Amino acid sequence: MSNDPSFEPEIVLLYCQRCIQTGTGETSADIEVEADHTVGFSVQPVMMPCSSKIEVPYILRIIERGADAVEVVACSADGCRFLVGSLRAEKRIDYVRRLLDEIRVGADRVGISRGPGLSPKDLIDRAAKRAEKVKALGPNPMNKGDVQ
Amino acid sequence: MIFAEWKPLTELVEKLSGYDRVLLVGCATCVAECAAGGEKEVETLAPLLRLALKEQGHDIEIQTATLEKQCEWEFVEELAEAVAQVDAVLSLACGIGVQAVAERFEETPVYPGVNTSALTIREELGVWEARCAACGDCVLGETFGLCPVARCAKSLMNGPCGGTRQDGKCEIDENLDCVWNLIVERATKRGELDALSQVRKTKNWSNGRHGGPKRVIREDLQQ
Repeated sequence: MSNDPSFEPEIVLLYCQRCIQTGTGETSADIEVEADHTVGFSVQPVMMPCSSKIEVPYILRIIERGADAVEVVACSADGCRFLVGSLRAEKRIDYVRRLLDEIRVGADRVGISRGPGLSPKDLIDRAAKRAEKVKALGPNPMNKGDVQ
Repeated sequence: MIFAEWKPLTELVEKLSGYDRVLLVGCATCVAECAAGGEKEVETLAPLLRLALKEQGHDIEIQTATLEKQCEWEFVEELAEAVAQVDAVLSLACGIGVQAVAERFEETPVYPGVNTSALTIREELGVWEARCAACGDCVLGETFGLCPVARCAKSLMNGPCGGTRQDGKCEIDENLDCVWNLIVERATKRGELDALSQVRKTKNWSNGRHGGPKRVIREDLQQ
């Protein structure tokens, strides 16, 4: 459990473009605006053509470069435009979680949730939930300046 | 292909904890096929190791490279410049590749990042099964193309043991086919079941591992 009340996690939110609401005119810019108004954590939203665009090394590189956590938002299991894209994403996330657990950095730094029809606020809420989980783990070790 | 699997990450972290600069080297051949040591696995393991060591309070610089083959001197030579800049090498190649790198760069510690364990075929995505044991005296011509040395838990040469299950699986694993059951089935299908009753010459184990380390000289190929 993190002892630092000032810890504000940085969350990278990778979302499939198909899991957001359609027909409402909302764009990635609206999600960016919503992301600018978070309290207690920060979000960097990144839209993807499909959640299966994520690969294991990419996620680890994001964590290595300092993000406290990564939340992937995919389409529903039976709603993927590419049929199995979100299932592949889920398997990769499970694998990364096992690896992070093995090195004791915390599986909860990475997670996946599903749409569809999410509003910008819904998306940011997913990041908020991830932020809550990662607060228990504390800051990303890559951001620790003091060598023990 | 030669099959290998990552060593436990804790073991790798412990090995590297005394170094500041490490070269992580993959091999784009067999270990890439079995998803243990190709470029993708190198780029996965590098950030993991940095994270794990940083968690322990140790900053480490990990350079990465992936050779076409770590078991060929010509390719190993490509590492010369990179090895000169690091304190140690972690190789994700099979045991052959690790030894090649260690022999070429004798003054640099070279550690294996994988355990090399079998000669396999990829049955389907994410599933590998042993097919050869490099025993040195191939009997596939007599066993209808199915290897009892690699695929029988007891490496029996004379038919199934008493542990074959009713459904043709091996007693040690309900998902593992009894290879002797498969051999009999294939022989039956070909109408050559009698061939299995023929007395065969004793298998010559001395041409494999039992005969000591292998060294082959082909003068026709030597310069």
